[in-house]
Amino acid sequence: MSLISICESIQVTDLSIAIREGALYYPIIGGIHLLAIALFGGMVLAADVRLLGWGMKSSTVADVVGQLRAWKRFGFVVVVASGVLLGWAEPLKLYHSKSFWIKMALFLLVGVHALVFRKAVYGNPERLDEAASMPGVARLAAVLSVILWAGLVFSGRLIAFDE
Amino acid sequence: MSVLPFLDWIASSAVAKVINGPEWAFPVVQSFHFLGFAFLIGTIAIVDLRLLGGGMRRQSPAELAKDLKPWTLIGLVLMLTTGPVMFSADPRVYYFNPSFRFKITCLLIAIFYHFTIHRWAIRPQAAPIVGKLAAVVSLALWTAVVAAGRFIAFV
Repeated sequence: MSLISICESIQVTDLSIAIREGALYYPIIGGIHLLAIALFGGMVLAADVRLLGWGMKSSTVADVVGQLRAWKRFGFVVVVASGVLLGWAEPLKLYHSKSFWIKMALFLLVGVHALVFRKAVYGNPERLDEAASMPGVARLAAVLSVILWAGLVFSGRLIAFDE
Repeated sequence: MSVLPFLDWIASSAVAKVINGPEWAFPVVQSFHFLGFAFLIGTIAIVDLRLLGGGMRRQSPAELAKDLKPWTLIGLVLMLTTGPVMFSADPRVYYFNPSFRFKITCLLIAIFYHFTIHRWAIRPQAAPIVGKLAAVVSLALWTAVVAAGRFIAFV
């Protein structure tokens, strides 16, 4: 089964038609998607500025990374779930959208980022607090995280304008 | 000066020509708008969730707000510059859009609230229940701003 035929079969499901054609579903799910971006994005930003030493200095890295983790995960789950629903409404459009595939590539890189930096940065923040100065690897993780996150917002927004 | 000529003047401005120029101009400005409100609302949410007892318990809400303030303000500035640029793309349509009007009303209340009542309620000497109430109102206001914003394109 090819990818496009999968998209075609999603396109004709009741759920897809309902989100696409119901007047309210799409903006409501879109609104939830945006709010989750703000929540998740705010948490990511707080951790990144702390790692870069640009803010949150009265908190330890362990606090910023550890205590916001639950909200970050919650925001992430909501943003992905609402994103899947938005995508479910128009799979054929997404299949042909260059921005969508860029967004998916960036999303994959977010996973790679999490795996690569888990050991040295996010999984062990106490060690960063003990270090005399913030290790380069932590700064690199923060910079890449901001770039990936902004890239997701931009490529996501551009999907609506692809044609 | 009445409103309609003013709207038409905005529509014919240099800014409007840029935003209505290349196809990518609007989505790029809108993306900065999204980053702006993520900074603004995300950092406010961290303080509000702290007020409600969710995370960052070693810092006081006032301390957290102070720490995050530059980022909250960067978000606010980003949002308040990109917003009017997007407005200039089609001033009459936005002006008469009920969702837009609702959004701007909520936004003005939210900004006023943030710098007055919210700031007062997060002081260390404020009663915890006051802080919790202030957090709920704050989250509700900003949620309304974002949700109404999303509805502009759909009403």
